[in-house]
Amino acid sequence: MAEFLQFTVNAIILGGTYALLGIGLTLIFGIMRVVNFTHGDLYAFGAYMIYMFAALLRLDFFASIALAGVLGFLFGGAIEFVLLRPLTGADIDTTMLVMIGASIALQAGEQLIWTGVARSVPTPFSNAPVVIGPVSVLPIRLFVLSVAVCLLVGFYLLINRTRLGVAMRATFQDADTAALMGVNNGLIYTITFALGSSLAALAGALLGPIFVITPTMGNLVALKAFAIVILGGLGNIVGATVGGFVLAFAEEFGAGYISSGYRDGIGFLLIILVLIVRPQGLFAMKERIG
Amino acid sequence: MRRASAWLIVVVMATLPWWMRDQYDLYILTSAGIFIVAAISLNLLLGYTGQLSLGHVAFFGIGAYVSALMALGFQLDYGADQPWIVDPQPVWFAFAGGIVVAGCFGWLIGRLAFRVRGAYFVIVSISFAEVMRLVALNWVSLTQGPMALNNIPPLSIWIPGRGVEPLYSREYFYELVLAVIVVCFLITQRLVSSRTGRAFVALRENEPLARSIGINVTHYLVTATVVSAGMAGAAGGLFAFSIHIVDPDVFLFVYTVTMVIMVIGGGKGTLSGPIVGGLVFGILPELLRDVARPEVQWLLYGAVMILIVFFLPQGIAPAVGSLFAHFSGRVFRKMGPGLSA
Amino acid sequence: MLRSKSYTIAAALALAAPSAAWAQAQNDILIGVDEPLTGDVAASGNYVTDGARIAEAAINAHGGVLGRKIRLVIEDNKSNPRDAATAAQRLIVRDHVPVLMGAWGSTFTLSVMPMLIENSVPMVVETSSSPKITTSGNPWVFRIAPTSEMEAKSFAAKISQFNPPIRKADFLAVNNDFGLGSINAFKTALSAAGVQIGAIQTMSPDATDMSAQLATIKKSGGDTLFLTTEVEQIILVLKQAAEQRLGQRVITDGGSSSPDQLIAQAGAAANGNYFTVFFAPWFPEKAPYPDLAKAFVQAWTGQKYPVPGMTEGYRGYDGISTIAAAITAAGKVDPDAIRQALWKVKVKGLNGDISFVPQGPKGKESGQNEANVYIVKIVDGKVTLQ
Repeated sequence: MAEFLQFTVNAIILGGTYALLGIGLTLIFGIMRVVNFTHGDLYAFGAYMIYMFAALLRLDFFASIALAGVLGFLFGGAIEFVLLRPLTGADIDTTMLVMIGASIALQAGEQLIWTGVARSVPTPFSNAPVVIGPVSVLPIRLFVLSVAVCLLVGFYLLINRTRLGVAMRATFQDADTAALMGVNNGLIYTITFALGSSLAALAGALLGPIFVITPTMGNLVALKAFAIVILGGLGNIVGATVGGFVLAFAEEFGAGYISSGYRDGIGFLLIILVLIVRPQGLFAMKERIG
Repeated sequence: MRRASAWLIVVVMATLPWWMRDQYDLYILTSAGIFIVAAISLNLLLGYTGQLSLGHVAFFGIGAYVSALMALGFQLDYGADQPWIVDPQPVWFAFAGGIVVAGCFGWLIGRLAFRVRGAYFVIVSISFAEVMRLVALNWVSLTQGPMALNNIPPLSIWIPGRGVEPLYSREYFYELVLAVIVVCFLITQRLVSSRTGRAFVALRENEPLARSIGINVTHYLVTATVVSAGMAGAAGGLFAFSIHIVDPDVFLFVYTVTMVIMVIGGGKGTLSGPIVGGLVFGILPELLRDVARPEVQWLLYGAVMILIVFFLPQGIAPAVGSLFAHFSGRVFRKMGPGLSA
Repeated sequence: MLRSKSYTIAAALALAAPSAAWAQAQNDILIGVDEPLTGDVAASGNYVTDGARIAEAAINAHGGVLGRKIRLVIEDNKSNPRDAATAAQRLIVRDHVPVLMGAWGSTFTLSVMPMLIENSVPMVVETSSSPKITTSGNPWVFRIAPTSEMEAKSFAAKISQFNPPIRKADFLAVNNDFGLGSINAFKTALSAAGVQIGAIQTMSPDATDMSAQLATIKKSGGDTLFLTTEVEQIILVLKQAAEQRLGQRVITDGGSSSPDQLIAQAGAAANGNYFTVFFAPWFPEKAPYPDLAKAFVQAWTGQKYPVPGMTEGYRGYDGISTIAAAITAAGKVDPDAIRQALWKVKVKGLNGDISFVPQGPKGKESGQNEANVYIVKIVDGKVTLQ
């Protein structure tokens, strides 16, 4: 029973960050239909940014996280503007190839600057775990969970209660009509990509101090983000959130009770199952059946 | 005339080992050639039927593993008293086995995965490859897991006057890879210029319309997947017999990425696209070894990819084709609706 | 009059110098190095290559080999077997190296091995631990790194030093040949020493969250956890073990840990844990050849290479030292002569004495060195020798 509770707590915390990654990608993959291979690298970028600010430059830890998010936004916007804008209207394959090239270059750049040696970030939190009964959890993880929840709520409000959110949803449903209504599609796409990237960077900045930072840390994370997007349905924020938690629970309990070796594959098995049984994903807004 | 020039190229390439003295260059060409076979197979799915499969390495890996297992012999414990023991098989039989089993998986995956399209299909294909990798990694009693299947025997052929020779020699292996490329090219050409090929293009361009005129979309997609998987399995078998070791890393996502780069960069939906793309992107990393330190090599590689997409969005082969317009024929022109096959 | 003559001589010398340098470079003895410099295990590959460079400089400073300088030709195998084979092919066929060192990972090394037979070129294996490497019937392979079996036996002999004693052992290892091989070897050796075996868990090489595995291990009732993986995951496991208040003490084996990095990055979580290492740079005076160890540490820190890398960098150093000794013993730069000489050398290495005993099928034996194992413990942020 004790480890059941521990698994549950671990899964909730992991789920929060998975949800952040999923939302970022569901916007980009779902709305812009871009197979964004750089999503994992923006995650790594966020982690390296907090390393640079908090570890090297000794800035305030919390400010560093915010800075990482802002830089992620700008960097993502720049990528979209330079690489994707000129390709408006191109095939999904073409943009995918550009994203692959960008990802290769980004990882190479990260290794060039930081080398492959793992980096750690000092945090203002104590290393003594908070103990509640049989469950123990580090304070920083609780912090990460609360920030993730705030960001999720903030995002939900952004999409559903602001004019920008309306414009984004309109573009998702029908770009041409939205344009006719005065929405600047190009700007929306840039902002969408930038927002998605900043969420990935924030996830990296939050998780970097908990784990270690390496140039290839984004690879596995990117694959899981795609899995979450599918589970939740393309373009569906709530779905991505739920999908993130579903994946986290499946991984924790699968690894704990079934087999630790297959842990990272559980997400993919889930996807195959879900898509066989319910091809539109758990919460899709649009049907995609063959 | 056009056909003759294509065969001329094949003959020239076949005689290459005798006037290209540098063994290392031959090795690079052969290595690129194995991936060209895989690229030709992916092109059938990605270029002609328009399905973005990012799990193609699964078939490659299955071909490699089955060929290796059959060549080395294995035992499978399925819960009965006696495990199913298979002795080492003749290498050519193992090679064929890899192709057949990969094709079977193609059929299975085709039937399952083509219930969805587009982005969902992309993810299913990635998932399938990841699951295969984990199975290869964890089913240690069969696949040796991360300990790898090594000491795979080489392919051998009977040379008149010399008896049976193991294909350790670079020249003979190169010829074999070239032969497989030619066979796969011909299969693809036959397929796409037939009625089946026209169905592929129809469902790529407009699936609901194709369906409405009675084309059994699932049937054609599964057919494409089976042929594609078989060819990828052949590439996997060649890989196993060239490098003599197979481990779960054969299913790495990066190999799919390499194939995708070759197909799209070379020109998807064209017959020569994967070959041109395979040559360019197979040789480029080796050229870069001379130019810069390792991290910078990768940077340049990524930059080149981006530049090619920006300047040659249709791929290299169509661009080259329009340059040599009076030379090319249907080999270079993308097959679209309404064009004669 | 004198002036113009001296100018002429100076001019002649100036013209001759670059061509002399070029001629000298042509005379260098080439040694191939096939290591992962980019990709997932780039950090380790770079440490090994740094160690190799230090050996190159030290050997050349002492007059080189057979009166000629040695020159390392370094190729990146990009952390995958296919490129490991390509890099080796390039070194052997293009650069015509008479001998190689490589290729770090076991599957990388295994993919290079057939080429050694095809081209009759020997290779010194400095890190790979898979038993298959020396038992596949390849007479061109010589491994200086210890296998997991050796490490486990060496460890089991020291088991009485542990207080509280080890009664029940759990295992957590990375799911590749390195981790799984280590589990097998230590399981065997420990059972033979009367230790009970508890939970056995694995993790994928790029996993970052081991909480599920640790929770299972926590309730196994064991007193010691044997951990085998690379340093990045060791940091994570130690931190997460502290977070979950794991009762077991942790012994990290495999020699790939880097206690300095762990102290720096795992902080308090590293305290109280043990590590097997094959070279202990914190106590050069306790090494089998203290002067050698001190010189190495000095050269390493002088080059400003990352301090935590010494526990892996020594492998590159010992590998190149071994190769240089073999070339000297062979008397000529010929692959087969070097191979024969490798059987006869006794090298003073950072790990201890290096020499090769035959292993593998008769008639096609490979060479294996019997390396030393040291156990260190981190106490209050400092490394102490057990």
